[in-house]
Amino acid sequence: MGNIVIDTWLYGELAKYAGDPQQTVFANPTIELSEGSTIADLLDVLRLPTEQRGITFINGNLSAMPGLQPDLTHRLNDGDRVAFFHLKSMWPFQYRHGVAMIPEMSDAMVEGRDQGLHHSYSAKE
Amino acid sequence: MWFLRVNMTDRSAKLEGVPAQYKNLGGRGLTSSLVAEEVPPLCHPLGPNNKLVFASGIITGTPANTAARVSVGGKSPLTGGIKEANAGSSWAQDLPSLGIKALVVEGQPKEKDKFWGIHITWDAAAGKPKIEFFDAAEYTGANLYAVFPKVYERFGEKISIAGCGVAGEFKYGNSGIVFNDMSKRPSRYAGRGGLGAVMGSKGLKWIVLNEKGSPGVPIVDKALFEQGRKKMNDALRTHDITKPKGGLNTYGTAVLINIMNEAGGLPTRNFSSGRFEQAAQIAGEAIFEGNKKRLGQELYNHACSPGCIIQCSNTWHDEQGKEISSCVEYESDWALGANCGIGDLDAIAEMVDLCNAYGLDTIEAGATLGVAMEAGVVPFGDAPGAINLIHEMGKGTPMGRILGAGTGAAGLVLGVTRIPAVKGQGMPAYEPRAVKGIGITYATSTMGADHTAGYTIAPEILGVSGKQDPLSPEGKAALSRAFQATTAFIDTSGHCLFIAFAILDIASGFEGMVEECNGVLGTNWTNDSIVKLGGEILKKERAFNEAAGLTKAHDRLPEFMQTQPLPPHNQVFDISDTALDSVYGEL
Repeated sequence: MGNIVIDTWLYGELAKYAGDPQQTVFANPTIELSEGSTIADLLDVLRLPTEQRGITFINGNLSAMPGLQPDLTHRLNDGDRVAFFHLKSMWPFQYRHGVAMIPEMSDAMVEGRDQGLHHSYSAKE
Repeated sequence: MWFLRVNMTDRSAKLEGVPAQYKNLGGRGLTSSLVAEEVPPLCHPLGPNNKLVFASGIITGTPANTAARVSVGGKSPLTGGIKEANAGSSWAQDLPSLGIKALVVEGQPKEKDKFWGIHITWDAAAGKPKIEFFDAAEYTGANLYAVFPKVYERFGEKISIAGCGVAGEFKYGNSGIVFNDMSKRPSRYAGRGGLGAVMGSKGLKWIVLNEKGSPGVPIVDKALFEQGRKKMNDALRTHDITKPKGGLNTYGTAVLINIMNEAGGLPTRNFSSGRFEQAAQIAGEAIFEGNKKRLGQELYNHACSPGCIIQCSNTWHDEQGKEISSCVEYESDWALGANCGIGDLDAIAEMVDLCNAYGLDTIEAGATLGVAMEAGVVPFGDAPGAINLIHEMGKGTPMGRILGAGTGAAGLVLGVTRIPAVKGQGMPAYEPRAVKGIGITYATSTMGADHTAGYTIAPEILGVSGKQDPLSPEGKAALSRAFQATTAFIDTSGHCLFIAFAILDIASGFEGMVEECNGVLGTNWTNDSIVKLGGEILKKERAFNEAAGLTKAHDRLPEFMQTQPLPPHNQVFDISDTALDSVYGEL
């Protein structure tokens, strides 16, 4: 099996997971993974606990929101751009209504009680 | 309370009782109702028959928090339709404290290029506001940062100021109405739609308020009001976006830059791409960390007006720790940054400051600069060139006047086909080809392209939950309609729209807003009745626009968005005309 390369973007306080504590605005490491790896595998390599990330994109497609992470088993491809946002980030529904999403996220939103309108999701809901 | 009518033809003022049909309105509901009732829809926006109406929200001036909003209304010289623009400022609280429910500026002086100010104080002996006119010639043709201190010096430190800059004096389609912030800066704007030009056309430079000794805003049911205020405050203090040191207080609205960029929806280089390669350098995270580095300590954001819990207004500092500008909002950051291909925060902050100094709307200015760059006036990414063009607007040179006319007009003059505007108003910072829902609101709003026209309210409150697939074109249109109606109500209440973030997730916050209004007015409004009231406001605005000649054909996005795919998703705006027409067809 070959390897794949992921163009990874870590914003705000997540930038530290790229390994340089001086990077506090953003970091853009290139991460090499084995073929067939998933978002969960990428998080493992970064040592980024999944609960510390919020809004997430894969190639510009929304893949996760705070507390709603249907992308953990999403298989990544060589050259994918993956962006992880910190939990102080926000994206009001009116500014994301109708954006591109990975299929797992679309399904999760349709199945959800609120159809994806809220800002964050947690176990207490 | 009174309506204060100021006639600029003969510089007279009169106080009138508030007619019964307006007693329970405030903010946008009141300005739009008065404009719809009193302004001839076919009048020239800069002529004597237009009116400029100021009204604070229902709860503004009470102890309610995050509620110091004033709406300004009139016929827009930019869109040719009805306009409401609002701002947060102590001015918003002082107007109703003086007993003035609406201030209506009418008429037009016969003298050309002469300007006056109005000074309003409380006359305790007479038990009513006292209105005095003064010659404002000494304040004209000047940078607002230079003349604001002179107004404070003349009338005292405790005043609040509304006014127009040189953009309004030149009667630009891109001219806002300026209000003071809490540090006496001329930085809070009812920015959109060219209302500064309407003020300028009436020879009115300042409206100076001093509420000392005034009676304040009456509250019919104080217990209910306090109950509502507590619910709202609890929601604002606990929600992750609105709480102290939360998302907005830390990073400001510019926290959206990186998000929109990753989503492929950050309009870049005059809406030719949805990604800007330097986005991370100008985003909210870069502002927070950049200030920390330059100041040697963390700097959280401040309130634009007294009593705000959210406190989202930032300040950007130079290498020496000296303030360059306050504040670099998401929209301003995008308009003068990504949309112009400029990735230098210092340059962007300088441009924001210049817009504040000249009285320009930053969104319209950036959208217009993008069009000018497309035409080759200066290249994309040329920060000194862009700064120079803003100076030209401030000086009123021929090129400055063309750009000051706004995105649509400048695009026509410069022969540009990619003009990102609806009803003549420049588009804000969300690309409709990537975010289809906002495209529907841009197309159909009574205000022209406006990102604040449709804030999200929980669908269970709106009564649209589960009725339609929110991702279908029809579902998106239904949600846009419902969001536009409730937004019209929030703009009427006097609350800042950003309370919507908290009350969407915390239902008791929404109850609190309704109870605050019922407490002040003595009404028995329910969720249903406020959605209905919001819809009625939209209908009045829509009727005015139709009578002014704005038809369904104007409820469309520019053609290029339907034909030119936007990178990186390479999508076009594909919502059908039928779906767009259903937004108001089914109101």
